[in-house]
Amino acid sequence: MRVSLQWLSEYVELAIDAYELAERLTMAGTAVEGVEKLGNELDGMLVGRVLEVTPHPHADRLRVCRVDLGERSVDIVCGAPNVRPGMLAPVAPPGTRLPDGSTIGEAVIRGVASKGMLLSERELGISEQAAGIMELEEAAEPGFPLKKALGAEDTVLVLEVTPNRPDCLCMLGMAREVSAVTGARMRRPHFQLKEDDPPAADDVRVDIIDSDLCSRYSARLIEGLEIAASPWWMRRRLRAAGVRPINNVVDITNYVMLETGQPLHAFDFDLLKDGNIIVRRALAGESMVTLDGVERRLSPEDLLICDPRGPVALAGVMGGEHTEINEATTRVLLESAHFDPANIMRTSRQQGLSSEASYRFERGVDPSGCARAADRAAYFMRELAGGRIRRGVIDARAREIAPLRLSFRVERASKLIGIALEAKEARRVLQSLELEVTAEKAGERGAVLEVEVPTFRPDLEREIDLVEEIARIHGYQNVPSTLPSSSARVGTLTPGQRFKREAARVMCGLGLHEAVTVSFISEAWMDRLDPAREWLPRFPVRLRNPLSEENAVMRPSLLPGLLEAVRFNVNRRVSDVHLYELGRVFLPQEGEALPREPLMLACALAGDWVPKQWSGDAEAVDFFTLKGIMERMASSLMVQEFSLQREELPFLHPSQSCAVLVKGEKAGFMGTLHPRVCDHADLPRNIAVMEIELSLFEAARLEPHFREIPRFPTLQMDLAVVVDEEIEASALEKAIRETGGELLYEARLFDLYRGEQLGEGKKSLAFNLVFCAMDRTLRDEEARASFEVIVTALRERFGARLRA
Amino acid sequence: MAAEKVNDQERDNPEMVALREEALAALSKAASLAELEEARVAFLGRKGKLTSLLQGIKDLPPQDRRRAGMMANRLKGWLEQAIDEREKELRRMELEAGLRGERLDVTLPGRHVTYGSRHLISSIIEEIEDIFIAMGYRVAEGPEVELDYYNFEALNTPEWHPSKSLQDTFYVDASAVGREDVLLRTHTSPVQIRVMESTSPPLYVIAPGKAYRHDVPDATHSPMFHQVEGLAVDERISLADLKGTLEFFAKRMFGEDRAVRFRPHFFPFTEPSAEVDVSCIICGGKGCRVCKGTGWLEILGAGMVDPNVFGYVGYDAERYSGFAFGMGVDRIAMLKYGVPDIRYLFDNDLRLLAQF
Repeated sequence: MRVSLQWLSEYVELAIDAYELAERLTMAGTAVEGVEKLGNELDGMLVGRVLEVTPHPHADRLRVCRVDLGERSVDIVCGAPNVRPGMLAPVAPPGTRLPDGSTIGEAVIRGVASKGMLLSERELGISEQAAGIMELEEAAEPGFPLKKALGAEDTVLVLEVTPNRPDCLCMLGMAREVSAVTGARMRRPHFQLKEDDPPAADDVRVDIIDSDLCSRYSARLIEGLEIAASPWWMRRRLRAAGVRPINNVVDITNYVMLETGQPLHAFDFDLLKDGNIIVRRALAGESMVTLDGVERRLSPEDLLICDPRGPVALAGVMGGEHTEINEATTRVLLESAHFDPANIMRTSRQQGLSSEASYRFERGVDPSGCARAADRAAYFMRELAGGRIRRGVIDARAREIAPLRLSFRVERASKLIGIALEAKEARRVLQSLELEVTAEKAGERGAVLEVEVPTFRPDLEREIDLVEEIARIHGYQNVPSTLPSSSARVGTLTPGQRFKREAARVMCGLGLHEAVTVSFISEAWMDRLDPAREWLPRFPVRLRNPLSEENAVMRPSLLPGLLEAVRFNVNRRVSDVHLYELGRVFLPQEGEALPREPLMLACALAGDWVPKQWSGDAEAVDFFTLKGIMERMASSLMVQEFSLQREELPFLHPSQSCAVLVKGEKAGFMGTLHPRVCDHADLPRNIAVMEIELSLFEAARLEPHFREIPRFPTLQMDLAVVVDEEIEASALEKAIRETGGELLYEARLFDLYRGEQLGEGKKSLAFNLVFCAMDRTLRDEEARASFEVIVTALRERFGARLRA
Repeated sequence: MAAEKVNDQERDNPEMVALREEALAALSKAASLAELEEARVAFLGRKGKLTSLLQGIKDLPPQDRRRAGMMANRLKGWLEQAIDEREKELRRMELEAGLRGERLDVTLPGRHVTYGSRHLISSIIEEIEDIFIAMGYRVAEGPEVELDYYNFEALNTPEWHPSKSLQDTFYVDASAVGREDVLLRTHTSPVQIRVMESTSPPLYVIAPGKAYRHDVPDATHSPMFHQVEGLAVDERISLADLKGTLEFFAKRMFGEDRAVRFRPHFFPFTEPSAEVDVSCIICGGKGCRVCKGTGWLEILGAGMVDPNVFGYVGYDAERYSGFAFGMGVDRIAMLKYGVPDIRYLFDNDLRLLAQF
């Protein structure tokens, strides 16, 4: 909403400057987004009086004008047909910048020097009128600055009006608000309506068929109009408000809408059949052409203004092309109606058509204001367009919308706002907003005010709405700052929330960067990872209205997002990418409206884990880099019984694909991305990935418990065995631990060797074994005996032989 | 080197005095262990000078032998000790000289140690959480795929509200779930309803999380973003309490010298409602490009819980009152760290991630 202060000052005294006013309005809930100064584009231009007009010696169409600029007179060459001696016109002396950006210079036109330019309205940037030089009113003096003569100096406040305040979408409403926040008195426009017989009702009839969508329809008939441009002052105000002037009749409807908030429409009465307005819903299959020339297919929920032939306007949104005001119009039917806000909003959205009228109707127009707005417009049509007003308003009222009465407990407001409010102050604030306090009673806990809410405030429906009015006019800045007095609260994180934070810290500590990727993925990613949907859900959570197919699916896995991030970095020559993400995935649940949203932890590692450095070679990421990270993470987070189990997943390298187990339960996967996926997604090969459900890790967490530390010397022995390639290290380690007995304190695999002398299909694994006794110094023979037991067990179970 | 005074007895024996002087000179001349060994052999070796002198004692007259023997032995003891000390000193010097030869270019980069980083959104969320935890709040969570009821209806949003349109809100494809009212939450506010449904007052919670709106990405819009919701419900909660709480938060988050401003505003689920500004963290309130010359940055929406919302969750609006607030984490992160484009936050460019 754009508010011209010059216009506003007609309705309320503005004793403070624009910035102060902007500040006060902002602090009362109408945010001022900008303060615009108007008129500067006319700087340098002057009022000139044409003294003499002589033909141009070398051009038939041009004339040379002697122009009085007050202190001096100059010659200006001009081609406009309407120049005549005695006229007052805008002049741009050399050096003036025109609104279109060009600068006037001293020119010689066909041999005659021209010191400036006489200007049309289009050259001034104030209308499309280019046919002739703009004529100024007689009041102006030659040499006077044009912007002063035109009253063009103005300041416009650009307001953000919240959707609950339709009353602020007009000058009178803003004047009321300004009056409430500054204490200045409001001045309503006074006008005398002069009507002529015969009564309008002789020729006009209004039938409201669908009264649920139209509570009231006021119409006036004006005759004998002469369509022309509206006066300068009106055009200037419309322009300041951001509305393009068109002609006097249309401008008047817009002007009165901006003044009162009531959208009006003018029909060419002679194009209406039988002078009969019918307000009804559209019929199935009906269509109409609106003023913008678009053919609109209508739905039976759209409300129409019709004549007996068919639609003449899309109610509250836009008029029809057929009955539009035109050059030849002399009789006008003026519509001032009240429509159902929700219905107008629906139609406006469905048709993709928003207008100044629909904007106001969908927020709520004062249902009591129809007739007065029609009167006001009729008054201007008589004054400015030579019209005769036919006697009487045709005022079809389908329903009465009465003012609401509310009780307001002063003490309740005090408590909710946190101030000591007195009944007298409450009454003053409410009255400043034109809310009528009809009675004051003594309630259980202090005064209760009975308040009548005028119909222009549809947002005030409950006591709490009045509390808000008190708070904002009192000023939030005048409310004290306190903290809740109750002490019945303890701030803390749940164990799950703490675990999440710890997991994040551990991942960072292990050298990974946290990523946050968008939750939308494409179906293409699902196909790429798992074309047969063996692992991903067959019916993922899909969006009905995605931004694009790339963003159509709510991720069932963090992997696609992380891999996109890997690609993003690799494409930018950042090839060592170590990312993790903690986020939710979306898994549909049979028979449930909402999916399960488990919190997942996922990693993607690509490139080198250790870069090439002056002191050594690079170390590429591989399966065991990530496994090491996971082991360390599990142990840092006290997660017990973490292990990997070979399992082929469709998107992982078939030989490097595992399920992650905690306490024997599957918690996710880990492996190397399948080269097929890498190639298809334009990613480098060798990307190690994992994803786990964090809550399962948390469930496997155990408080650490002290394990005795050897106090006597330990004995260390290395055990290297040769086994078949298929034997897994963890099986050997498990057997060692089982058979090592009490004396085996620790066993750690430290070497893997394959070589010719071992034979085809064989490998050697070496373990470092630590033996000790907790109560004495262990003797060599004892450790040796344990060692032998282990060796025997490995031989029997795995055919292992000691490596020489 | 042992440099005790030559005693009177030795002075009596010029030969010994000379030997001692000679040994002293030889030891200090020895610049390496090998030279020291040569010196040792020259004096104490089988044919060494002191050895010879000792051997010569037996040829002295008997009355002189004892005294000469004592003196020669004392000289030998002294010499052995002196050699020993010289050896230690030479070893120390050799070590020192060796170490100096191991000079490093200390400006070479250190050996690679992996390091990681938290995403700046996570850091900001934790920071916000901790400020409110210190004020007695708990952290609540709710689903990102929500029902219309929690996201709109129970938050007092009218059925026809524009924000519910397909242009503003992402809806879940109805064919899978068989209903049309499943959507991506457009704010974290539905957590308010879920918390109130499952808990009785008093309650003090915040709810961080992702939210979604049907916005085409640009420098300031992202279809996915982050919010932190806050809710306090208790007896006698007032607008003044809301002001105090958010002022405390803003000063903790943005600095003690920040001013905080509450402007009346409109939200369907709070009344009275406010938008909350802090004085611009870039220019301090003088006006700059970031605050568009106003000196203020809008960081929060807030208000007193609308009694209608209490109606939905069965709270007694006469007995309890409450306040709620919501803030955009991404915007706060961008302001606090000077990130110019919201899309940078979700690109996960390591060159950005590693900065935080």
